[in-house]
Amino acid sequence: MFLYNHVGCRPRTKTDTLELISTQSIIKHFGKTPVINEVSIQINQGEIYGFLGLNGAGKTTLIRILLGMIKPNSGHVKLFGKKVTANFNQWNDIGYLVETPYSYPNLSVTENLNVYYQLRQLNNPKVIEDIIGKLKLTPYANTKAKHLSLGNQQRLGLAKALIHKPKLLILDEPINGLDPEGIVEVRELIKELVHTGSTVFLSSHILGEISKVANRIAIIHQGKLIKELTTNELTSQLVKKILVKTNENQRAVTHLITSNYQAALNENDEIEITGSNAISNPEHISKLLVEKGLPPKQVSLFTEDLEMYFLRTIRS
Amino acid sequence: MNRQLHALKAELLKNKYSNILWVTFIAFALAPIMGGVFMVIMRNPDALAKAGGLSAKAQVMNFSADWNSYFGILTQAVGVGGVLIFGFVASWVFGREYSDGTAKDLLALPTSRTSILNAKFIVYATWCLALVLSNLVVGLLIGVVLQISTPDNIVVSTHLSNYFLTTGLTILLGTPIAFFAIWGKGYLAPLGFVALTLVFAQVIAATGYGYYFPWSVPGLFSGAGGEYKAQLDVTSYTILILTSFAGYVATLTYWNYADQTK
Repeated sequence: MFLYNHVGCRPRTKTDTLELISTQSIIKHFGKTPVINEVSIQINQGEIYGFLGLNGAGKTTLIRILLGMIKPNSGHVKLFGKKVTANFNQWNDIGYLVETPYSYPNLSVTENLNVYYQLRQLNNPKVIEDIIGKLKLTPYANTKAKHLSLGNQQRLGLAKALIHKPKLLILDEPINGLDPEGIVEVRELIKELVHTGSTVFLSSHILGEISKVANRIAIIHQGKLIKELTTNELTSQLVKKILVKTNENQRAVTHLITSNYQAALNENDEIEITGSNAISNPEHISKLLVEKGLPPKQVSLFTEDLEMYFLRTIRS
Repeated sequence: MNRQLHALKAELLKNKYSNILWVTFIAFALAPIMGGVFMVIMRNPDALAKAGGLSAKAQVMNFSADWNSYFGILTQAVGVGGVLIFGFVASWVFGREYSDGTAKDLLALPTSRTSILNAKFIVYATWCLALVLSNLVVGLLIGVVLQISTPDNIVVSTHLSNYFLTTGLTILLGTPIAFFAIWGKGYLAPLGFVALTLVFAQVIAATGYGYYFPWSVPGLFSGAGGEYKAQLDVTSYTILILTSFAGYVATLTYWNYADQTK
């Protein structure tokens, strides 16, 4: 038997694993301004869920709603199958990083982590040393937070989110401020966490990064969830076309159309050929054009990138 | 209880290297130092003649070079200056999470939001107690150095009792400041509130209605208002305690139930 999620996305079987995050028709207004409009998402155990949106789209507000920091006007949130209310008591299964991570400026990295060690009521001091090592903060363990670089402050924020080895990680723009090496490290860390059974909700406006790690991607725009799809579905929805240049493009287009190809000239005076037949057999196009005395000067496969897909989606 | 202990440990850690801690102790210590200066002036006729403004002030206060006057000045420093300094402490303890940007990290933890706030209230009260104890020690040292005549035990116990009761009344007024820090999300709102209460406490006390205004009560109790202390009655203390309770409940309610967007 199949069940269908909202926005017509993938079918789920009843045997699916536990839903770690579930929101039901969340609506939130700040005054008269609608911020979140009927957002329902379900995230299963072991998933990396990418949450995409422009600045101000409602990503952080939804994250704060998930964490019980903001109360929705209607709808509800369930984490680990339990409603998030004042009595929700599974916060030690959840790690989070919301917006820019800040720390107590006069405390060192170790002391900052010790504050959260206490507040999370942990009982193995070794976890502080472990997480410092894992986030490559060992050289800065005794450095005051106010003297850390932006990248290391971000690492400290991640260390606070990960110190208690959470089952669910909610990360809002986790790679902000990181250098390329740091970005790769965080990506590997997220993959490693999921490999060990964690689930990750990852919000970002950096689309390329999301596409590299997420199993499923949702796009939020002006408070509404406008798309939710798996990365495989995303790949199949990206526009692909063959771009060709010849000495007589107009004549080449005529020949291609006569041969049942969907061809047209674009604004760069290139021939755009779409259709699965063309995409899977571009050599046939070259052969045809050579036979017609129009040998191609250039044949290339164009694949729409995630930025273009995102913009196309939010504008449609 | 265990959760409260964890929250308290975390709160103490946060304040470990706070520069503001020493600033408050230095600022508050000005009171016994000023008391000592008065004492020197009062005991030295030459200095008394030269210190025009100060000597006039000391005479208006009926200040004399003995422990009675010195304890009085220390107690009045708590009842009047404490409203400012304790208010400063409360603004810092409760407003810093927003200024440091760490408030959001305290909202989804196994240690409840209420435990975290209670830990802050404990730290605030302990900090204020440490301030008054420190002033007492500084005052005693200055008294010993100036060789003020030894007071009898009854005078000491009466003054100590007044000193610590004034401290208690002033500490109780920290809860509305905590609310303004959390509602205003930083230092500005609570410090503005402290400044306002300080002005109103003086003005209202001067009009003779201070016994109904909570922020005037510690000052009047300390003796800073002279004969107005006699006007304090059960209603005065009830209003102060209710104000404190309302501040505590408002702080907890706002922190637990309002939208936290910062």
